[in-house]
Amino acid sequence: MKLFPRLASVALCGLLLGCATTSATKSGGGASPRDKDKVLSQYRKAAAALRAHNFEQAKTLLDDAILTISGVPAKDPEARRARGFFNEESSKVYFGEPYERVMAYFYRGVLYWMDGEPDNARACFRNGQFLDSDAQGQQFSGDYALLDYLDGLASAKLGGDGADAWQRARANAKHATPPSYDPQANVLFFLQFGYGPTKFAGGQYGETLVYRDGYSEAYSARITFAGVTHRADIFDDLTFQAHTRGGRVMDKILANKAAFKGTTDALGNASLLSGLVLTQSRDRTAREAGLGLALFGVLNKVVSGATTPRADTRSWDNLPQFLSFAALAVPPGRHNATVEFLDARGQPVARLTRSVILEVVPGRDTVVFLSDR
Amino acid sequence: MKLELLKLTVHVSAFALAALLSGCASSGVKNPSGIAVTQMRADERGFVAGTGIESQDLVAVTDKMARSILSTPEIANAAGRPVIVLDPVINETRFAVNKDIFLTRIRTELNSKAKGRVVFLARNRMPALERERDLKQSGAVTSSSDARVVEFKGADFFLTGKLQGLSTRSAKGTSDYILYSFQLIDARTSVIVWEDASEIKKQGLEDAAYR
Repeated sequence: MKLFPRLASVALCGLLLGCATTSATKSGGGASPRDKDKVLSQYRKAAAALRAHNFEQAKTLLDDAILTISGVPAKDPEARRARGFFNEESSKVYFGEPYERVMAYFYRGVLYWMDGEPDNARACFRNGQFLDSDAQGQQFSGDYALLDYLDGLASAKLGGDGADAWQRARANAKHATPPSYDPQANVLFFLQFGYGPTKFAGGQYGETLVYRDGYSEAYSARITFAGVTHRADIFDDLTFQAHTRGGRVMDKILANKAAFKGTTDALGNASLLSGLVLTQSRDRTAREAGLGLALFGVLNKVVSGATTPRADTRSWDNLPQFLSFAALAVPPGRHNATVEFLDARGQPVARLTRSVILEVVPGRDTVVFLSDR
Repeated sequence: MKLELLKLTVHVSAFALAALLSGCASSGVKNPSGIAVTQMRADERGFVAGTGIESQDLVAVTDKMARSILSTPEIANAAGRPVIVLDPVINETRFAVNKDIFLTRIRTELNSKAKGRVVFLARNRMPALERERDLKQSGAVTSSSDARVVEFKGADFFLTGKLQGLSTRSAKGTSDYILYSFQLIDARTSVIVWEDASEIKKQGLEDAAYR
């Protein structure tokens, strides 16, 4: 009979502890929801601000987000909690997957260039490529064609040699071949098309991070000014970048959590059923043992229920599908330009056409940022 | 039976109370008392750290450069007061930085330690200075000297620098090496009269939750 109170105590304790961890999950594993999702919110607002040509706001948001993601989070209590059995991965502070972090640096680089700081822009493009360099396996490591292309272009404009970066960009190109640099080019068009990838949780317990492909109507752009037409092709595909990120260390942790959840659940079912059968016995000892076994089963079910292997599916969901770029040589002054976004057959999508006024100043680059949506 | 029921109640109550007090109360609350504002020295490594360029690096590098410049014969043994212009630092690292901050700190260190042995020109203020001169020349504002005489000084030396980096990223962590090099260039002869460098390497590995 001594077994009963002990098991009951343990079960109750488990229930209570389960309650505690559940509440921790809800409250973000320690950080308030606003804190842990702050970077995600800044990413989204910055992308929206860029589309609205509110560049100052985008700059402020990206600077703050980069301040967070540029650190090396070690011995971080939220991260430790996210690795634990009873907290979801999303209880950690959001930094984003590499393709999302890369985009934060890419956008900031565009803004630096807009401000006449091509060397700081180059630093951002280099950092973006660097962040992509831990892709599992070296095949897709640091393979953004546009980042290398811009690195080389900035170097060439700063009086350096951009040839190496250009060669890397050509080697990494999966769409059109990047053109050679035009030293006279002074108007830079940064274009983006479509809707980028998002995440969802797959696997039996949602422990697998899966990407939903992005899509785009536009596959290239046509820039026309002063009767001359230029073509801007796709340099990079964010869905491809998301898929080729490779396995995460966290995936192994989530797989372990899922295995633990499955095992404890199965053990709980078996113990509970066996225990309930034994409680029907005429023998008092068997009934007591059955009760103990049933309680052990309940305890396992509780532990299994409290185990949260779900992958973090928070996504920077207003990213584009494709990145495009064109550098044109334009005489100083005010010019009207038209940008048409072309579909896969090369036909303009009429509702996406944009008019742009170019204010070209001698001695510095004019940067145009345009999105098809 | 009553005794056993009593024992059970005591056990359950004790565990429940302990769990409530320890588990529910403490977990889920991060730094319940907050973290008081901590004032740190600029050359001190803070608890918010990355492998990039940080204030302690800036202080260490610029302190070393200022000391090194002052011991240069061209500056230490100069007949008059050498006139220096700051030329923007070139950033070739993967870290976007406010490049001017390096030269600003070297300048302030030199001005503070050299006690007038070197003079710096405010070339970055030229548009405003030229506008003021034009106003004086046109008679729109008063002038304490002949406004037609050119008094903007020319430079004896240019002080400039370059930040270069080597970065590595693998499953074992992130490593960044940054070379901070600075030069003093004779404006008349283009000779590099002084050059010094400082190198800093940092590495770290982020929590598995972010890998």
